[in-house]
Amino acid sequence: MYRFLTLTKAMFLIHVRDRSLLFWNFAFPVFLMVIYGAIFAGDDLAGFMTWMMPGVLAGNLMAFGLIGSSSMMTELRAKGVLRRLQASPIASSDLIGAYVIANVAMALMTAVVVIVVGVLFYGVALNPLNLVVALPMIVVTVVAAIALGQVISGIAPRAGAAVAIGQLFYFGQMFITDLFMPIEMMPDWVQQIGPWLPGYAMAQLVRPALAEGVLHADWVQHLFLLAVYTVVALFLAARLFKWEARTA
Amino acid sequence: MTAPILDIEAVSAGYGSGSRQVTALREVSLQVQPGEIFGLLGPNGAGKTTLLACLQGLHTPTGGRLTVAGRPPREAKGALGVQLQKTALLDDLSATELLEVYAALYDVRLTGEQIDTLLERFGLSEQRNKFARQMSGGQQQRLALAIAVANDPQIVMLDEPTAALDPHARRDVWDVLRGLHEDGRTILITTHSMEEAEALCGRVAIIDQGQIMAVGSPATIVAGLGLHATLKAAIDLPLETVRGLPAVTSVRYTGQHLEIQSSSPQSTLPALHALATQQGKVITEISLRQPSLEDAFLALTGRSLN
Ligand SMILES: Nc1ncnc2c1ncn2[C@@H]1O[C@H](COP(=O)(O)OP(=O)(O)O)[C@@H](O)[C@H]1O
Ligand SMILES: [Mg+2]
Repeated sequence: MYRFLTLTKAMFLIHVRDRSLLFWNFAFPVFLMVIYGAIFAGDDLAGFMTWMMPGVLAGNLMAFGLIGSSSMMTELRAKGVLRRLQASPIASSDLIGAYVIANVAMALMTAVVVIVVGVLFYGVALNPLNLVVALPMIVVTVVAAIALGQVISGIAPRAGAAVAIGQLFYFGQMFITDLFMPIEMMPDWVQQIGPWLPGYAMAQLVRPALAEGVLHADWVQHLFLLAVYTVVALFLAARLFKWEARTA
Repeated sequence: MTAPILDIEAVSAGYGSGSRQVTALREVSLQVQPGEIFGLLGPNGAGKTTLLACLQGLHTPTGGRLTVAGRPPREAKGALGVQLQKTALLDDLSATELLEVYAALYDVRLTGEQIDTLLERFGLSEQRNKFARQMSGGQQQRLALAIAVANDPQIVMLDEPTAALDPHARRDVWDVLRGLHEDGRTILITTHSMEEAEALCGRVAIIDQGQIMAVGSPATIVAGLGLHATLKAAIDLPLETVRGLPAVTSVRYTGQHLEIQSSSPQSTLPALHALATQQGKVITEISLRQPSLEDAFLALTGRSLN
């Protein structure tokens, strides 16, 4: 247990000491809220932000999994850090468990920052029940995002490649899965495709929970879709996991 | 003889497959006894790191059999202290945190005092709160060595532990290794420094192109090859006469010096002296060089080590 806790703490520390993660996970979502609030809010700022804030959070959690978490793992592998860990008696499941817990802690800190900014500066009305309902949805979302990110980490040779692939999947979903723009405003084909993507399920799970303290009418369906993505991703990530960077 | 703590039998290993296949080890056999400081000596690309990787359970051999403390390598990781050739630590942790974490991976809980002692032993006391990424290459390497012994391992495996160190730090590391040896630990190091092998290792294996060329103490290897000492004397004597002196195997002139190869300088020297006196000449300068591992390497592989 001491072994696992110490490793988890180390994994957490390397995340919170990483400057680019600090920027993308804490400063960037706040920046997005400021921009969206200034440009799109219209008359009802609080009402707009009540819709926007959960989308920014869910979108950021997805970005963290696909880009931040995947490239961090890729970098540990490419630099040879994982190789040294492999020489110790820890199991790969311990390493991954510690890593995921550190990632979830990081995500929860993002959630706190985003929610505090929304409530204090934009008058988003949140009662404690909302948080209770939203917490499991946030965790489900970030775990799915990390699982998807680890598939990327399994195929990316370098951190830069992981960032590029992660961005492709993140930007690809940003506007077509109801995260940052209502999907009703989108062309028909987007409305056909969007709901099958993980980002859409993330938005539908996090938004009503955080904004209203209720679950989406079709929450079982969204949760199921996200669970399928997560399980398939975990299976692939486990198959692709390597301690050592590919050479030549 | 006790059971070897590292038992390597006919191990072959390589990288890649198909046309890009590289053979790194060819049927290597080697036994290391408990409590030895054993050196793997060979040039770059000889297969030293690959052999360590096989012992550390990081690389699967294509053939042969090996055990570490009587177990298959993958099950013996807990008994090892490891420093890899390429130092890669969690960059954003401090020296103190790193020692704590890496010891914890072996289920060892270090006290603050133990951490301080380790840092001091490796000259890192002032770096205790520095992040690994803020340290110089030499400091990182010393930290990697401190980490390698932080779990109080029975067997210590170090891959070119002094490669990036200045001569002073190198001697400090040697002292630490001797200390570990006195505690009864088994130490396996790789090096391409003859000096290091001769200064530190009870026995060495000379390895070249994936094969073991010789095993034994530095002195035994040199003696076993029948290598001769070199006598250099500043004197002018007829070659024919010198060739007739006891134990002399060859003679030539290099510049002002007479260079004599001798299988027993103890008998050649007095005879040379007597010859000079008899001819009414004086040896103004003389030097004797015993054959070294360097000569052994050259004799075994036809190439010089560095
Ligand atoms: N990851 C790798 N992929 C392909 N070839 C490798 C790899 N590592 C080592 N080799 C090759 O295996 C041989 C032995 O290398 P190595 O064990 O690193 O030697 P040493 O440690 O003695 O310098 C060399 O020919 C080297 O090029
Ligand atoms: Mg090497």
